[in-house]
Formats: sequence, structure tokens, C-alpha cells
Amino acid sequence: MSEASSSDEQVLITRIFEAPRERVFQAWTDPDQVAAWFGPDSMEAPRERIRIDLRVGGRYELTMVRRDGDGEMTIGYEIVELREPELLVLRSDPKPEMGMPEPTVVRVELHDHGEKTRMTLSDGPLPSAGHAEAGWNAAMEKLAASLGR
Amino acid sequence: MPTDSLSRTFAALADPTRRSILARLAEGEATVNELAAPFSVSLPAISRHLKVLEAAGLIVRGREAQWRPAQLRPEPLDDAIDWMSERKRTWDGRMDRLEAHLRRKGSGR
Repeated sequence: MSEASSSDEQVLITRIFEAPRERVFQAWTDPDQVAAWFGPDSMEAPRERIRIDLRVGGRYELTMVRRDGDGEMTIGYEIVELREPELLVLRSDPKPEMGMPEPTVVRVELHDHGEKTRMTLSDGPLPSAGHAEAGWNAAMEKLAASLGR
Repeated sequence: MPTDSLSRTFAALADPTRRSILARLAEGEATVNELAAPFSVSLPAISRHLKVLEAAGLIVRGREAQWRPAQLRPEPLDDAIDWMSERKRTWDGRMDRLEAHLRRKGSGR
């Protein structure tokens, strides 16, 4: 079961997982498990290149390597909030060369539904959108409408 | 000013006055005077905003010195929207794999 939407300022995703939240939390924070799912299909996230220092202020870092051996990409975050097994908040290292001159915040909340877990994930804000508030939404909507989207 | 075009687009969009200007231009071209009318800011201030939007490729301006009407140029916005969609696709893919991973591990732990 899955449902996802994208607001103007951040990516929002809600998912139900068929596992208690302790297991989902571990899947997010145990490097052995992160290695199994984080990278896209064309890349892998080798276990030895994942570093998770599980504490507030600790690093959450992984390097993804293309399966054809042609290139790699490192993603780095600082852990800014941590509440096992319900909350993980990561702040990305800025990547100006990728169009991300400012950090974005990934917020993962795990809600207890017994044998199931409802996860909400947000990632944002848009680079440089900073304090863009309602004006952004209104203008974007208007523009999008005018562009026939 | 950021050097790559996506950063320029987002930086240009980060200002509420500039977003309002773009929203106005989505309805049709307008002169500096027309654009300034709804705001309590000076014409030079509006001109500066227009320069930022022009540098980001979000508007083009006419050649006639007197009027120089501004027109919306939507392509950079498409890039910004694409960027957001791409990011959402990335997370959706990751969550599909996380779901599969949790299934594989089953309840045996």
C-alpha cells in the first residue's frame, strides 16, 4: 500500500509497511540493512562504504557505486533528531554542483500500527526556496495552470 | 548569483515579489509600470527583480526602450518541476526496495 504526493516545497511520501516499527527503524539505521535498499537499481550501496554514527550530531553517510563500475556518488547527512523507534531526521550536506546549494531535511516518522508501520517521509525544502511560503504555492499553481499542467 | 541554471531558477523563485511578478506574467506580458502597480516598491526595485528573472531565463523583455514589456518564459520552471518529480521518484524507488527488504527478512528476527 502506497500513497505519495509532492507539494511545492517538499517531497511527501506515506507508506504502510508490513512490519512493526522497530524493524522499520532498524532497516533505516543498521548499515547492513541500509545497504540492501538505499541505492537505485543501477547502483549498489556497498556495506563497507556506509557509515552511520547513530546519535544526534552523528554522520549518516553512504557512497553508491554504479554496477557497471562507471562512477559513484556519496550522499551525506547529519543526524539532527533521533527517537528510536519513531523518528529520524537527517540534514543533507549541501551539493552546489547538483543544484542543491542549501541543505535539505529528510524527516522519517514511524507510526505504530501493531504488526504494521505507517511511515511518513518528507524531503525538502526546495533549494533556495528557504522562506518561500504561501506565495510560492499560489504562484506555482497559477503558473502550472497557465502551462497546462 | 548561483552558476548552474537550476540554482538560478530556484534562487529567482525564492523571492515572493518575483513569484508574484511571474504569476502576473502568466496572464500575459506587462510593462514595468504595470508590474509595479500592485506593490509598494519603487520602479527601480521592480527593475532589479526583472533583471534577476531575466538572468534566470524566466522572462524575456522586449527591445523597445520605452516599454520593454516582460514576457514569461516557462522552460526553466519545467526544469524545476522535473527536478522535484525526479526527487520524488528517487524516494519512491527507495521505499519500494525498503518494502521488499522488509518482506524478505520476514518476521524471523
